[in-house]
Parts: sequence; structure tokens; C-alpha cells
Amino acid sequence: MTAAALVRAESLGRVFDVSSPWLTRALEGLPRQFVVAVADMSFEIAQKETLALVGESGSGKSTVAKMVVGLVPPTTGEVFIDAMPMHGRQRGAERRRLRRRIQMVFQDPYASLNPRWRALDIVAEPIRAFGLAARRAEIAGRVGELLRLVGLDPADGSKYPHQFSGGQRQRIAIARALASQPEFVVCDEPTSALDVSVQAQILNLMRDLQDRFGLTYLFISHNLAVVRHMAHRIGVMYLGRLVEIAAADALFRAPRHPYTRMLLDAVPDLDMSGRQRKPVEGEIPNPIDPPKGCSFHPRCPFANARCKSERPALVAWGAAGPVACHAVEEGRI
Amino acid sequence: MMEPVLSVRNLRVEFPTRRARLVAIDDVSFDILPGEVLGMVGESGAGKSVTGTAIVGLIEPPGRIAGGEIFLSGMRIDNLQPAAMRRIRGKRIGMVFQDPLTSLDPLYRIGEQLTETIATHGDLRGARLRERAIALLSEVGIPAPEQRFDNYPHQFSGGMRQRVVLALALAADPELVIADEPTTALDVSVQAQIIALMKRLAQRHRAAILLITHDMGVIAEAADRVAVMYAGRIVEIGPVRDVVSAPLHPYTRGLMGSIPKLDGGLDRLVQIPGSMPRLTAIPSGCPFHPRCPRVFAPCPIHRPELRPQATAKVACWLYHPAPTTEKETAAKLEGSP
Amino acid sequence: MVEQFQSLPAPQRGGFAAALDSDLLHAFLRSRITVAAALITVVLVLAAILAPWIAPHDPFDLRQLNLLDSHLPPAWLADGDPRYLLGTDDQGRDVLSTILYGSRISLSVGVLSVGLAAAVGIVLGLIAGYAGGFLDALIMRIADVQLTFPAILIALLIDGTVRALFGAQRNETLEFWVLVLSIGMSFWVQYARTVRGSTMVEKSKDYVLAAQLIGIHPATILFRHVLPNVIGPVLVIATINLALAIITEATLSFLGVGLPPTQPSLGTLIRIGNNFLFAGEWWIAIFPGITLALLVVAINLLGDWLRDALNPRLQ
Repeated sequence: MTAAALVRAESLGRVFDVSSPWLTRALEGLPRQFVVAVADMSFEIAQKETLALVGESGSGKSTVAKMVVGLVPPTTGEVFIDAMPMHGRQRGAERRRLRRRIQMVFQDPYASLNPRWRALDIVAEPIRAFGLAARRAEIAGRVGELLRLVGLDPADGSKYPHQFSGGQRQRIAIARALASQPEFVVCDEPTSALDVSVQAQILNLMRDLQDRFGLTYLFISHNLAVVRHMAHRIGVMYLGRLVEIAAADALFRAPRHPYTRMLLDAVPDLDMSGRQRKPVEGEIPNPIDPPKGCSFHPRCPFANARCKSERPALVAWGAAGPVACHAVEEGRI
Repeated sequence: MMEPVLSVRNLRVEFPTRRARLVAIDDVSFDILPGEVLGMVGESGAGKSVTGTAIVGLIEPPGRIAGGEIFLSGMRIDNLQPAAMRRIRGKRIGMVFQDPLTSLDPLYRIGEQLTETIATHGDLRGARLRERAIALLSEVGIPAPEQRFDNYPHQFSGGMRQRVVLALALAADPELVIADEPTTALDVSVQAQIIALMKRLAQRHRAAILLITHDMGVIAEAADRVAVMYAGRIVEIGPVRDVVSAPLHPYTRGLMGSIPKLDGGLDRLVQIPGSMPRLTAIPSGCPFHPRCPRVFAPCPIHRPELRPQATAKVACWLYHPAPTTEKETAAKLEGSP
Repeated sequence: MVEQFQSLPAPQRGGFAAALDSDLLHAFLRSRITVAAALITVVLVLAAILAPWIAPHDPFDLRQLNLLDSHLPPAWLADGDPRYLLGTDDQGRDVLSTILYGSRISLSVGVLSVGLAAAVGIVLGLIAGYAGGFLDALIMRIADVQLTFPAILIALLIDGTVRALFGAQRNETLEFWVLVLSIGMSFWVQYARTVRGSTMVEKSKDYVLAAQLIGIHPATILFRHVLPNVIGPVLVIATINLALAIITEATLSFLGVGLPPTQPSLGTLIRIGNNFLFAGEWWIAIFPGITLALLVVAINLLGDWLRDALNPRLQ
């Protein structure tokens, strides 16, 4: 473990019980059903670094985000913030201090702000919750500063969310996240719901804030091109597991796992180079009944018998970052 | 010279509200030839979805078509009675919407929905009807179509459902297919599959496709020509290769620059300041002028028309001589910039 | 897309001026029936509130009653007396005054019982929706059981139990509050169910997650974050419920298990008047009946309109 790691996840796992209600099960003789949303996730994030987690639907990346910030308790494993466990048995004051260092920006700008609260109160909530200021004037002052920081007018504080556009709402969400002066911010697809030009503004803003305040980001996304602009290191997830994790440059220059290659290949060709996108077969399998062995094997052009029966471990082969793939291990690709 | 399947001339759509008459689309004109894919790209509020809805006559009142004409293979369709329009919708114009979950009726098997559509617009009956439906399913890439014929929508994955929706849109062999954000709700790996399928089907059936989306990447892959919309107007229209690699209009340039690319690295993205104007506050002259990095004298006063420039058409005073009005001359004489 | 066109930026003017210009007010004014219903409701409510000042007589002041003036028909009929506009009953009480005071009681019972039902229902609904699991199941099963009984029956049950407990003591204030309790507790389920459903929807929204993230206490989240967002439909239910509560009270009083005759509500008046219908003295029962009907219909219409008007905006 590197000394500078602010965030460390150790064998994080989460299983959801999706069984039918017990009466139905009793009457129809059905077994209990579980979904392994996340399994065996281990990663580190150094201070001031951005780690991106990339994956499609069903990859479990949102669940990982929620476990890291403490909204969802993991079934296995633990998250350490500055060597302190998130889900351990801490007492009130310690918990609060830990909470103060973490914040989150959500995907949907229309659902992440309470429609009945004014922008001022929304941004002030963390300030009040952590007792960072008490008098109304002081709170209003701080909120004004934060709004200006994210490119809004302090006078906008008296407006309601429906009076803002999607991009502006996301700015308010960022202002709220910064209100408690956190060190670590988890961003769950913060620009997926925004128009492309607004996305550019928000991504630039987030980068600027990171530089200015030395923030550490965990950036969740399904869009590899967006991640290119934000991340120092990237982890690729498939059906709840990490399949590859590497420095951004290395990942884009020389992707190793077949799924990573497929994701890169699926990014549209805006340079009009005439590159033919090779559409890959199949879709994400049902997480209730995942394939045996390597969960990617039904769609993998390099799968062999071993892939169908034995799940590959996430191990580093050579100087590059870890990959979970038999073909890479065996030197076949 | 082929006759266009769809011809839109000076289309104007208004939404009267209590306070004002909002103009959602203003003076939009374009053609689509048989077998061609025209992409219509723009951000939220640009009016691209409204264009699609207007063509099929599904604008919700009090919204209405307030001007212009729409021709389908030479026949005028914007002023038809609702009953006549209903016959055209489905038979001659197929539609694909964004969310495959809600496009299909969850209570009926997809086979039933398919045969119902085919029967409504043709004269096949009985076994021939079922055969045609299965053939369609197979054509859109549903494996084992005879078995899946009797499945319900929830038994399909998102990508498969969108394929079924495509089959439904093509069931009556329409001349025109309007697809409104057909891949937005799908995973990236499935998007590529659906786009390839749509292009293939367009070729085979010689149908014209109007592809409406905010995703430039989808346009670059799927479209032959592209129209860029801003605040209810087309600001640039031309072959996709040219518009994407060498955009003319400053908005298109800004748009292309703000799209993150794989070879971008950790640099800042180009950003256009401000946001798309609300319909209640569309700027005078060129609607983009408050945000334009190359704005100059005529822009706030005169609205530019779409005029040819190289292989494309663009509505911008940078490319065409701008008129001067008395207001402008007076302003110049007074010494204002 | 349509959101872009319909949601215009709010006017910069102050609250009242803005309200005058709002879409809601315009929709209201356009429906004449609703305006009429609202006017009737306002008039009746004001009359009830101002009863002690505008009633020509005090029907409960025994000193003012004159037995000689009893059984008088309404003023415009043959034996009528202009002092008693709508006639008098068997005790010499002025019917108009009893209606005014009676409406007062009916409305108080109605409003208080609806308030109680809403309070209990909202709190239980919030808890059930937010907590889920066993607590939710428990509350909902109790609600289901209660729903199998008609509201009147439940009111009777509670009422009868309390009377049995307190025996022959007929304390007027106690009876009033027992009535409020029994009617209120028979209506809470509707509120609980609606609020529970809305709470379950809001619970998964990101703004609730954001509050949980910084460690806000669940009770605070429920009352400061969730409640303002789920209260809309409650308003509509409460309005329609008010009419029902008034009718329920009238029914109970008519059956004789409501308020005592010394504190008559509209229902009690109808019951008393019922005895004299066949004697030909129709005014003692009919006028309170008309008032009750007007009040209930007007409130119902208002509630109907409110539900329709708020619906698209709630979405």
C-alpha cells in the first residue's frame, strides 16, 4: 500500500437479495435469489488523484460509489479513508469527522436537489450539519462564495431548482458538495444527463476545482472519452468485478483486456478516419445467473476452455497494471 | 434526379401560452432522398424532437404548425385531416422512439404487436401474416424468432427490444423512418449494433431515415448528411464528413470542440459560454450571437439565412455579405462598436 | 421537451402579485362552477365563524327562549313572525340561529377530525414508506384491517367504548372530543397510504441520498426533505375528506350517538326536526338539511377541482 493513498478499498463486495416474498416462495417452491452486484473490488486512490471506474449498466460501478461514501454497507470487505474504516464501529464525533471529508455529486441534476428548497438552503445544508457557521449572515456569505466559485450569481440563492437549467443545477450540486470542504469527492456520472457543451463546462469546472483545492476524485462513468479528460488512472468493471486497472495513458495506448478493447472500439469515430466500428456480439448477461468461469467469455473472441470454467484473478503481469484475463496471462494476446 | 421522400419547406411550429406565443421551430427546410440517412443534431431545446413530431402530425395542442409545408413523396401531409394522417403514420412513415421500454405494450406478446401492425397497413392474413412477422424479426437480428414470437417485451433485453421496435417501424414497409434518440438509452456496445442494423435496413428497404439525436458520435457513424439545429433553426447542413471534420458555423465548431475525444489527454475542453436560450428569450438577429466568439456588427440585428458554402449550407454572416441597415449605419456614425 | 415550453421563469414580483398572475388562479377563475362552489363555502364558513355576532338570537340561552314562540313557520308564510326568519322549533329556538351555531359545530368537528386524521396518517405514512420492512408491513396490515370496516362503524366503536368507559357522565366537552377522535381515527388510512407511496418514490431520489450522506437524522430527513414533496395530494384528500367528516358527524348525531342536543350540530338539528316532519312542521328539518347539503357539495366540488388543477403540476 502506498503511503499517500487517501482512499483504499479492500475486497469490497455487495450481494443483494432479490428473492420473491416468502409467501410466494413457499407456495411456488422457489429458491432464494441473490445478485452479486460487486465482488472482490480492491483499489487505491492517492491524494489529489482522479481514479475513474468505467463500465456499462450492470457493472456495479454505482454500487461501488455508494459503498465508498458509506450510503450502502458492503457485504464483504471495507473502505478506508486515510486508514480509517468507513463502516467500522466509530462513535458519533469520529463518524462526523470522517463524513465531513467525503462528498458526492450525483448523476441526475433533476433528482439531486430538493425541488422545495431554495438553492441557498440546499448549499447551506452541509454547512449547518457540520456546524461550520452558525449565524445566518455568515452562512449566506459562505453560500454566496460557493455559488460564485461554481460560476453562478450569489443572488441565485433565492431561486428554486426548477428555475435553473440542467447544467446550472449540477453546478449547485457541486457547490453543495464543496460546502463542507471535503478532501474526497465521488462523482457518479455527473455529466451523463447534460448536453455536450454543458458537459464541457462542468468537466472543466471540476478540473479547475481539483487543481485549486487539491481534491481527490473517484469518477464513475460509462463514457471512455469523458474519462480521458478527467482521470489519471482508470479501472474497467464488468459484471461487478475489476477486469483491468491502469494509468490512463497506458490504458488508451495499449488496452489489454478484451472488454477494454471492445469498449474502446465502441467509441464513435469523430475524426472521420473511416475506421469501421466492429460491433461486438451479445449483451451484458443477467447478473442473477452470470456465466461460469470468466463472466466475459460468451462475448470474448479469445475465450478458450479454461476461460469457460475458471475465473481469472486480477493480477499484474509485467510492469503494467493488473488485468484479469487468462489470455493475457497465457500470452495469447 | 431522384425525388425526395421527405421535403420540409419553411416549417414553423408555435406553442401559444397565456403570456406569449413561443416559436419552437422557425423557418426550417430540408430534403431527404430515398435510402439516405439525414441526421438532425442539436442540444436540448433546439427543436429537433419537435421537428420529428411535427412531421408525423403528433404535436400536442395548443402547439400547432403555424407555417410552411411538409411533402411526403410529393404529397402534402401537414394539412391532412387526423384520420388521413393516421393512415399515413405507420404505413408510410415508421417511428422509433428513445425508450424501448415504453414503446412496446407490456401486456401483449411482441408477435401479436407485430402482426397487428402489419395487418392494419396491409392485406396479409393468417399464416402468411405470421410468416412475415417472423421474417421481420429475423431481419432485425432476433435469434430464434419462432420461439421469441410469443415472448413478452419484458423477456427481452434493452438492445433486443429496440430491435423489435425497429421491426415494428418497418412492418408496413414505410418510405420514411423517423428515429428520435434510438440509441440513447442503450449501452455503448449495443449502440454500435443498432446503428449498423439501421443503416443496413435503410439500404435494403430503400427507406429514408431522419435520425434525431444529440449524440454527434452516432451521427458521424450513421448519417450521410447532418443538419445542426440551434434555438429552433438549422444553422448548418451538409455531408456528415465535411460538417464533422471541418465545421463552418461557430456553434458547430464549439460543439465539436466540446466533445471529449479519446486522444484528448488531460487538456481543458473547448467550452461555449452560456447556454441555449429559452424559447421566451430568443435573441434578435442571429440567435447564437450572445455566445459567439466571432460576433460582429450585423449579427445582433439581422437573422442570417441558410446559404450554400462549399459542400454545405450555413446560416452565418461570416460567410455571406451582410446587409447594412440604417440602424447600423447610424450606430457606426455615432461611434459605437 | 414540453417542459421547456411550459415552465416559464417565475416573475420577479413579490408573492401576492405573482400569485395573482399565476396559471393556477387563471384556471380557477375560468371554471364558473368552482368559483360558485368556493363562494358558497366561504359564505357558509364565515357565517359559521361569525355566528355569535350575526345570529339574530342565541338559541342556547334559555333566558331568551319563549315557549309561546314555538312551532312558528318561516317568516314569509301565513303564521310567520319576521323576528324568526326561518321559523322556530318546539322549544322556541330560532331555526336560522340554530343553523348558524350548528354549522359552527359541524365545521369544527369536521376540520378537527380531518386535522387529526391527516396528522396521524401522514406520520404513519412517512414512517412506513421510509423504514420499509417490518414496520411498513405492520402499519399497512393495521391499515388493511381497518379498511375492512366502514368508517361509521369504526366511529361508533370508538364512541361506544369511550362512553362505556366513562359511564353515565355526559360531559359535553368530552363528548365533543370523543367525536373528533372517533371520526378522525376512521379516516387516517387514506392519508397514510398516499403518503407512503409518495415517500417510497422520494426515498430513492438523490437529494435524500445527499442528506443521508452528511449524516442528517432520518426524522429530520422525513420532515424537512420528504414531507414538503409528498404533501400535495394530502391537501386534495383533506378537502374532500372534510365533506365526508361533516356527513359522518351528521350521521352519528342523527343516530343519537354524536353530540348532545344542548350542543346541536346540523345533524342533530335534522334528527330533532325529523320528529316534526309528519306533523307538517317541515322547516325544522329541511333548512338544516339544505345547509348541510350545500356545504358538502360545495366542498366536494372545490376538492375535485383542486385535484384536477394540481395534478399535471404535481408531475
